[in-house]
Amino acid sequence: MTQKHKEIDNTILSELLKHPTKLIEEFESALEIISTTKDLNELNVWANLGLSLANQTSRSWETAASYFYSSSQIANLIPHTYFVKWSHCGANLCKKSPQLATSYFQASPNVMTKLRSRHIETWANFGHTLYKETWKSGRLASKFFNSSPELVSSLSMMEMETFVNFLDAISLKSIDTAIDCLDHCKKVFTSLDKNKTAILSISSILLETNWKEVPSFLKISSEMLPEIHALQRPRFLDIISCFQESENSSNIPSTTLQLSKSLSLIDQSIQGQIIGLAEQLLTISTEATSEFVLTAPNNLQRIDIGQIERWHKEGLNILLKNIDAGVSFFRVESSHSQQVIESLSSSVEFEKVKHLIEMYCQALAGSEIQIAPSEDLVDKNIGWISNESPSTEGSIVYLPSLIDRYSHKIDNFAWLKVVSTHQVGHLEFGSFGFKFERPSTIFSDLRCELENRYSESSMLKNSEKYVPATLISNPHSVTDMQRFFRLFDDKQLALDIFSVVEDYRIDSIIKKNYLGLKQSYNTIQTDSISTRPKIKSLPAREALVEFLVLLSLKQNTVIPVPSKYSKVAKNMSLILRNFRTIGALVEDSAEATLRIYSMLSQVPNEDLSDDEWQDLDSNSESQEDIDQPKDEDVLRDIIKSQAKKQEENNADENQYESVQNVDYRGDFKPELVQLLSALRNENESEKNDQNQVEITQEMIEELLKESADVNNVENSRSTSSSSQFASNILKEASSRLDTDQLSGKVDNLHVEEKGGALDPSEHQSFVYDEWDFRAGDYKPRWCIIKHKNMEEGNPEYYSATLHDYRALVGQIRRQFELMAPETLRKVRKLVDGEDIDIDDAIEAMIDIKTGSGPSEKLYWRRNKVQRDVAVIFLLDTSASTAEAIEETRNPDDKWEAPNDQTEYMAWLRARRGEGTRRSYKRIIDLEKEAVVLLINALETIGDVYGIYAFSGYGRENVEFYTIKDIEEAFSDTVKRRIDRVAPMHATRMGPAIRHATTKLESQDARTKILFLISDGRPQDRGYSREGVEKEYAVHDTKKALDEARDKDITAFCLTVDKNGHDYLKTMCEDIGYEVLDDINTLPRRMLYLYRRLTT
Amino acid sequence: MNTTTQTLYQSYIVEEYFLSEEPFYLPIGDEVELFQAAYEQKIPILFKGPTGVGKTRFVEYMSYKLGKPLTKVKKHSSQKSSLSRNKSSKNSGQNLPLVTIACHEDLTASDLVGRYLLQGDSTEWIDGPLTRAVKSGGICYLDEIVEARKDTTVLIHPLTDHRRILPIEKRGELIEAAEGFLLVMSYNPGYQTALKDLKHSTRQRFIAIEFDPPPRDIESDIIRHESGVNKQTADQLARLGEKVRNLKEHGLSEGASTRLLIYAGKLMTQGISPRRACQVAVNWAITDDFSIHRTVEEVISSIFE
Repeated sequence: MTQKHKEIDNTILSELLKHPTKLIEEFESALEIISTTKDLNELNVWANLGLSLANQTSRSWETAASYFYSSSQIANLIPHTYFVKWSHCGANLCKKSPQLATSYFQASPNVMTKLRSRHIETWANFGHTLYKETWKSGRLASKFFNSSPELVSSLSMMEMETFVNFLDAISLKSIDTAIDCLDHCKKVFTSLDKNKTAILSISSILLETNWKEVPSFLKISSEMLPEIHALQRPRFLDIISCFQESENSSNIPSTTLQLSKSLSLIDQSIQGQIIGLAEQLLTISTEATSEFVLTAPNNLQRIDIGQIERWHKEGLNILLKNIDAGVSFFRVESSHSQQVIESLSSSVEFEKVKHLIEMYCQALAGSEIQIAPSEDLVDKNIGWISNESPSTEGSIVYLPSLIDRYSHKIDNFAWLKVVSTHQVGHLEFGSFGFKFERPSTIFSDLRCELENRYSESSMLKNSEKYVPATLISNPHSVTDMQRFFRLFDDKQLALDIFSVVEDYRIDSIIKKNYLGLKQSYNTIQTDSISTRPKIKSLPAREALVEFLVLLSLKQNTVIPVPSKYSKVAKNMSLILRNFRTIGALVEDSAEATLRIYSMLSQVPNEDLSDDEWQDLDSNSESQEDIDQPKDEDVLRDIIKSQAKKQEENNADENQYESVQNVDYRGDFKPELVQLLSALRNENESEKNDQNQVEITQEMIEELLKESADVNNVENSRSTSSSSQFASNILKEASSRLDTDQLSGKVDNLHVEEKGGALDPSEHQSFVYDEWDFRAGDYKPRWCIIKHKNMEEGNPEYYSATLHDYRALVGQIRRQFELMAPETLRKVRKLVDGEDIDIDDAIEAMIDIKTGSGPSEKLYWRRNKVQRDVAVIFLLDTSASTAEAIEETRNPDDKWEAPNDQTEYMAWLRARRGEGTRRSYKRIIDLEKEAVVLLINALETIGDVYGIYAFSGYGRENVEFYTIKDIEEAFSDTVKRRIDRVAPMHATRMGPAIRHATTKLESQDARTKILFLISDGRPQDRGYSREGVEKEYAVHDTKKALDEARDKDITAFCLTVDKNGHDYLKTMCEDIGYEVLDDINTLPRRMLYLYRRLTT
Repeated sequence: MNTTTQTLYQSYIVEEYFLSEEPFYLPIGDEVELFQAAYEQKIPILFKGPTGVGKTRFVEYMSYKLGKPLTKVKKHSSQKSSLSRNKSSKNSGQNLPLVTIACHEDLTASDLVGRYLLQGDSTEWIDGPLTRAVKSGGICYLDEIVEARKDTTVLIHPLTDHRRILPIEKRGELIEAAEGFLLVMSYNPGYQTALKDLKHSTRQRFIAIEFDPPPRDIESDIIRHESGVNKQTADQLARLGEKVRNLKEHGLSEGASTRLLIYAGKLMTQGISPRRACQVAVNWAITDDFSIHRTVEEVISSIFE
């Protein structure tokens, strides 16, 4: 017995002995522990209390026993005052019911580890509340105490109170039910992160309306909630509570069950989106909401989430108009709903096939072709207006973003393929390579002749009679196409004819060369005939153009033509027939255009009555039937039409309107394309060519004004002036980076920094000295590095980048694999080794036989050759990396960083708030892409590497982000972090380099490399001294790099700042650096440099 | 014991193997004239170009052609004279031997020159293929020279300059190359890496003839001749080849070679459907990349019915 044991009042001991021996055993073992912390007085009080507990009733000694046991457990956990309080609470409970007190004491050791001491009383009172002096309520209260450890860990005190009140309320109805609820709630709470009250509030409302449903609701919740993604659970409960509020809340538990079951069938990653869509419906109709969720799993098997959104949007519109119709839509009972799903499931979405079609087009065209949805082209406002039809502008093929013409996916895809082949066909078979002077192959050349006639007649008086106005005003043409179209007065008619003929030529070549496409081509051509306007409803000239279109779509058919002009029609069909032979050039199309134009310009555009038509079988007539117009006649007719136009403006005639485009052929704008490519070439050749005429904005405006390509656009879009087009076109064509923009953005004015050394108070912050080159000494503990992990984004970014760079990835992988060590290399001709090399042994034998001295080096051995490289990449993520590299697509976008500090911060926030996907690239994007390629390459050779980004604002705030820690293995987390790399603040390089150096120092690799990628000089608020703003930062950085070198770390700086040479010379005096001239080469160059550094 | 043994195969001594028929080769540019001129002037030749464009076929063709010495090709002689053939000389033994050596990582100098072999108690010297070619005055064709070990250059250098000698170190001999000897190497710049590049001192001893995939019409003729398909199919195959090559630099490291297109044609003549033949002979042969497979698949289905 211990000393203290003896000092305990003997009377207490003897009293205790009256009870079963279990009690005194518990007491003694508890005393052993507790006596170490309590003084004698306290011990006596403690023992007395236990005794009084034991004496309360005949069975209460058990309560006392558990009191002794628990107190030994918690005496060290809580301060004495609370210990006393705890004991008294227990004693009070015991007065009501010893069993309850026993549960209280038993639960205490586990509860106390989680419960704040000051809540002890509240907690005990909860038990009190629940205990209603009946045996059953005692069971509930005990149960409450037993469950307390779990409850305390998942609920706050506030929530606990709500919960107890709820239990209390339900126990008034039925205590058994309350006990059930307690059990279920325990589970529910653990599955819910926050918002535990949501489930309680639903339950309490339920309690009032239909209390019997409460336990089943809770049971279902406890079972089904884990099936739903943790983040979505509160949202789901919100939906349920909305259901409750709505009038027809019939059966909440079963609704919950159904909805959650339905959700559980959906992949967790898209549950959020489904719930989001459901929330949109909630305010309109709960019924529709539940139908939407219930049908979702089924629908998802047919269409994907993106398509669900389209379907949902459609349904939402219906729902807003008519609730009942909407509900049946979401129940997928209305036929409209089914149709929508049907067409969505068979439609081909542009985004999904983009890569495939892009590569396909590249294969066909043999040049860089990009694919973009046709909306993009319209957005550029350079002359294209329809966003549904396919088109091309020379290097980009524009396709509609959704193809749902047919009921089968295969057909839709075939359509897309035909369309893209047709568009690429324009490139492959030279539609845009039109040369005015190149002779055609089928026809005799009239173009030059016609031009000569014009120039002759322009010498005459009142020449405007015979020469198109535009030709007189400005005889110089920018493109060959423009020169050609200038020959015509009615440019629209000429362009229409040219388009049909040229499209027909392309179609014929494709059908001959791509036999596999022929069938779908024919189907699509036939189908597009059905969308054509009724030929008989058109006035004469338009009807004849339409005739040409129909003929180009399907030969050997009978087409009605105006009887008056059947000869013209026959002639046209003969001209068109020439293109069935392979080898027709775009110049042939031009010649055909001349001939057809000469005929059609004679035809007045008059309305015809029904009996003025006759059917023409385009196949039947033979060559002899008709006398084709002579070349001379063609020229004469064109010039005549010119004169006629000038004289009489026939009132009977309808204004000629161009025919509707053939859907699969889309927009064809030869003049604009030639112009764009001419401009692009001009940009590339840097005007080396003296003869090349510089294209000015005025010239383009001129061209656009007269161009038929644009004329029809202008009609429909009155706001767009041709000068606006012109400047947009110029912008589109030039993608040169304006170097002036790259100069420093952050306010570089000197701010004198007050204050002394800093202390890193937070976790993961480090303090570094800074070099003051004017003082020639370090400023001690001057900068604080805050080391954080980069936030996590979407891992898709990683694979998408790899896909975009697939060509380079392959190359890099090969190159890096060659760098990879052959871990075991057989080394021959050694004096000693694993085994004798048989070749060398024979050689030695031969040497002995031939009498010369044999070599002793007969052995070989496998040598382990290992790369031993550790490298850290430091990415500059300062705000200036947000610079766009390509010409900004959206001219209104302001990338200028304001100079004022507060404005700057606001600007920065706005920047970062924007969506992550942009249509143009920024410096940071290239840095990110370089990182992706780098990781991909480094993983093949197994070098130890870390990737960090740095930025910061001020010396106490240098941010240092981990993208991949040097000791971390590559994982999805790293992929996700890359996605979130974004431009931040300023560039305080010194501390970042020092921190990276520290990290590298801890590595025991033989070669250590620090690779710095930046976009400009180091600069930051207060990173300067009066008068030497720029030098200060440069010198500190230099010092940091020197420190690294002293620690055997090879540093290398790569910068994309074209003006980098001036300060890098100082900064990297004897350290490798490189200035990238073309930022776009960053990923490739970075890997090359890395390879060079490490081999 | 009187059973006669029948030889099931034909074996030749390396320098005595001659092509009995003229190999089919369609010149794309002036490579035939260049080769002839270089041969006359004893200038070594380096072939550059991707696999399957006909480098080996060309050297076979040239050795056959030059081995029929007819009217000897004179300098400044017109193309015509080189094509005229003296049939009587066909068996005159003037054939030009062609020794082809495929280089690999472990190919050492002694593999080329020759080595002593133990024979019973004595040793015997066996000439290597290069030595044989040097002695017999034929063309020695080193295929994929960058793969060979660096010590082979020791042999190449003296053979390729004015000396034209082959030192045989082990025997202490120098062999002067016979009159008709010429060294020809091939090398595929596609595989060029920092580690495996020809040194300039080696490289600049050769004139380089560049081989590119033939233009579509010529390739079509080649395919037609080699595989026996009709003109239309040959045209389609050539078109396919052209389109697939366009994908180079878009993830494809090497385009479809003429050889593969010929294989596809050969499969077709055996009754395999065109799409399937192209799939196995072209698409699956050139890459394992899924997205390229899909693309090529679409190109195939566009071109072939």
